[in-house]
Amino acid sequence: MTTLTSSQAISLLVLLFPAAGALLLAGRGWRLPRTFTVIVGPLAVWAAFICSVNLFLNKVNADFTYWTWIKSGAFEVPFNLLVDNLSIFMCLVITGVGGLIVTYSVGYMSHEDDPSYARFFTYMDVFIFSMLLLVLAGNFVFLIVGWAMVGLSSYLLIGFWYQRHSAVVAARKAFVMNVIGDIGMILGAFVLFVSYHATTYSGVFAGITGANGCDSSHLCVFVPANRDSSMLELAAFLLLVGAVAKSAQLPLHAWLPDAMEGPTPVSALIHAATMVTAGVYLIGRMHPIYDVAVYAHAAVAIIGAVTALFAATIAIVQTDIKRVLAYSTMSQIGYMFLAVGIGAYSAGFFHLLSHAFFKALLFMAAGNVIHSMHDEQDMRKYGGLWRQMRPTSISFLVGSLSLVGVIPFVGFFSKEQILGSAFSKPDDGLALAVWGVGFVTALVTGLYTGRMWWLAFAGTPSPQRPVEHPHEAPPVMLIPVGILAVLATVGGLIQTRALGFGPSQVSDFLASAVGKVGWEGGSSEVVVTFVTMVLAAALFLAARRMRPWSAALPWAQRLLEHKYYFDEIYAAVFVRPLDATAGLLLRDVEKPVIDGAVIETGALATAGAGGLSLTQSGYFRNYVLVFVGGALLAAAVVLVRANS
Amino acid sequence: MSGLDIGGSQLDASWFLILGGILFTLGAVGVLVRRNPLVILISIELMLNAVNLTLVTFARQLQNIEGQLFALMVMTVAAAEAVVGLAILVDIFRVRDLEDVDDLSELKG
Amino acid sequence: MAIAIFFIAAVMAVAGGVGVISARQPMRSVLSLVVTMLALAVLFLLLDAQFVFVVQIIVYAGAVMVLFLFVIALLGPAREIAAGRLRFQPWLAGLFSLALLVLIWAMLQGIQYRQPESTDLTFFGTVQSIAIGLFTTYLYPFELTSILLLVAAIGAIYLSRRPSDDR
Repeated sequence: MTTLTSSQAISLLVLLFPAAGALLLAGRGWRLPRTFTVIVGPLAVWAAFICSVNLFLNKVNADFTYWTWIKSGAFEVPFNLLVDNLSIFMCLVITGVGGLIVTYSVGYMSHEDDPSYARFFTYMDVFIFSMLLLVLAGNFVFLIVGWAMVGLSSYLLIGFWYQRHSAVVAARKAFVMNVIGDIGMILGAFVLFVSYHATTYSGVFAGITGANGCDSSHLCVFVPANRDSSMLELAAFLLLVGAVAKSAQLPLHAWLPDAMEGPTPVSALIHAATMVTAGVYLIGRMHPIYDVAVYAHAAVAIIGAVTALFAATIAIVQTDIKRVLAYSTMSQIGYMFLAVGIGAYSAGFFHLLSHAFFKALLFMAAGNVIHSMHDEQDMRKYGGLWRQMRPTSISFLVGSLSLVGVIPFVGFFSKEQILGSAFSKPDDGLALAVWGVGFVTALVTGLYTGRMWWLAFAGTPSPQRPVEHPHEAPPVMLIPVGILAVLATVGGLIQTRALGFGPSQVSDFLASAVGKVGWEGGSSEVVVTFVTMVLAAALFLAARRMRPWSAALPWAQRLLEHKYYFDEIYAAVFVRPLDATAGLLLRDVEKPVIDGAVIETGALATAGAGGLSLTQSGYFRNYVLVFVGGALLAAAVVLVRANS
Repeated sequence: MSGLDIGGSQLDASWFLILGGILFTLGAVGVLVRRNPLVILISIELMLNAVNLTLVTFARQLQNIEGQLFALMVMTVAAAEAVVGLAILVDIFRVRDLEDVDDLSELKG
Repeated sequence: MAIAIFFIAAVMAVAGGVGVISARQPMRSVLSLVVTMLALAVLFLLLDAQFVFVVQIIVYAGAVMVLFLFVIALLGPAREIAAGRLRFQPWLAGLFSLALLVLIWAMLQGIQYRQPESTDLTFFGTVQSIAIGLFTTYLYPFELTSILLLVAAIGAIYLSRRPSDDR
């Protein structure tokens, strides 16, 4: 291995710091005093953040190969990291928001005993490492490694309180659905390898774009469809399966609400800010493929739009505060899929960034409330928190307004940019259709967010409150929340395209990675944008009086409460038949045939031995008889051979 | 060539060998049929003697002293084996009154 | 003359052998074996094996057989029970013995005798020639045999200890 340049080394350090943190905590952490864990856990993430900032400031843009891992004929897998603007963007989000959340969880998880405390931070560091590997990987093999490890970390963290049956079941459900996605990913990688005989991104993209003067990692948005488009469509759909599973979009969405069984910091980090955005990252990274595979590309947008509306409607009837936020996440990621599905990549990633800010904020503020309410998560038992937990309530309000998309919070700029991009393509039927869906979803978002706010924070304290005077959270939990609130407030100012003018830092930054898409909008987009915002805000306020209306439509209430009966359908179509098949196989194949073969072999040996043991009669004279007989036989053989 | 010139008369080596064979078979029958352990040991001694006769016969026929040396070794080994065998028998007899070697069937199976 | 001696000795040997296997009392078996041994000793002498002749009488008939007699005297006379437990044993034994005889006869038919190595019989079978063989060419087996005897003696002493001596 030749000596590394400093950028190469720093890129590697981004990965190594969390890995080292995880190893230290796994090996020694539970035996050392709690201060050790408190320092090492978050420090590993912050160190990675500093390295990411360094890469950002140095404007690193390269494909670093460290060594060749596998080389077998045409199949060559190097350990390489593709450090371009998209990767750095994702790294900053992951380590920055991740750092804040890990620091927050120092306070949130303080009730755990020492070994569990260390275990939590170990898992968090493992997760950060895996996520970073996922976004930094420069070839499909390591992408899949990171992808699978992220799924594993999610499983470990959802089932963190493993003594709870519901947590274990939820973790298993999440893992199984993720594995379905993994299979899609792997098959997609296979198809790509078979078509282009390369495992690295640069190799595959070069194969796709051909030698028309396009550089593989730069401006190659528009590529004429070539002879391989059917293979690319297949690969694109397979990769989409992976993205859908990881990002909890329809139809592989059912695991996300159940994943709320995990601790709130886990929900904040994995199921809001980072892991579920891996699907969006994937589509963005694979944009050369999706630019050619138009059907798969359209499918991305359709899935995103449908999921956005679907999840928003379910969120209206949820009573658990974390579940509202979970469905909200599902909905917002639908927006991101929508954006990358119509080609507005930087809009999608800007929304990823802003969603990371306000959703993590919302989860952590909710965590403050849950913490002070002694783990009560039912919103109907809250009420009137505005008066008693002022800082948390303010942060929650900031997050909510950002989610609804009210100016000047960052959610407004990112969501309206997406809707504006969709609206601004009047000759593209698909774009207009998804705009319509997105528009309606924005209104519904206002509705459920408002309901959440009025139920939990406004009004009078509910008589079923578990705690009369909830105390505000300790500083270690308040400060990260506060930082995110500030970011959610001013973050929008880096990209104000939705207003039709102003800075567009994110798009410019990402242009080198995902292509430059000009802002095609005009004043009509801006008008539509404001109309959307006003209507959503109105619904936010109207949600105060929601209860009478929902009583008028009991069938709708039931449908939404059962989440459109998806869980029941899955259970009937997949789970029960598989269970029955497994039981059948156990009874009729495993026990008689496989077990039987093994047992019968043993029985055969025993029977044989039993039979043979009859020769051991114990009688000396029998033995002599056999002896003499054998000697006769041997002598006869010798005689015959000597004479022949 | 099988003729031996002994004391002026012509004997045949094969006569000695046949005699040895008969004695060996008699000993084998004794081992197989008799049930008294002592008699079995004695029959084994008989077989060994028959072997000695054969060895010495060939020594004489080939004019090679090795046959007699071998016979001496056989005799030594037979003595050692008889000693140990009898010691074992005496040990068994201390514990129980053994008349039939078929009683010693504890190693059955 | 030699032929006559041979036949007398042969008949006595066979008679002794038959006596060994057919005697009811073990004492009579031992005595029959002594008869056989003495007859064989005569045959050895006939075959120019003087040293072996002497050793047969002194060691075999004299020491080993006396040992047997002592043991029989120690253990007391035994009576053999008429009915045996293994019913097929005598038949099979007869069969095998017949087979043995046939085999031996067949072997004897196939022997190809070689030329004797020398014709000078003056020193054959004398103590001198035995000594030369034992102490030069076959020194190693000779020494091993003595170790064998030592081992047998130790074994016999150990095996015949009284149980109370084992502490």
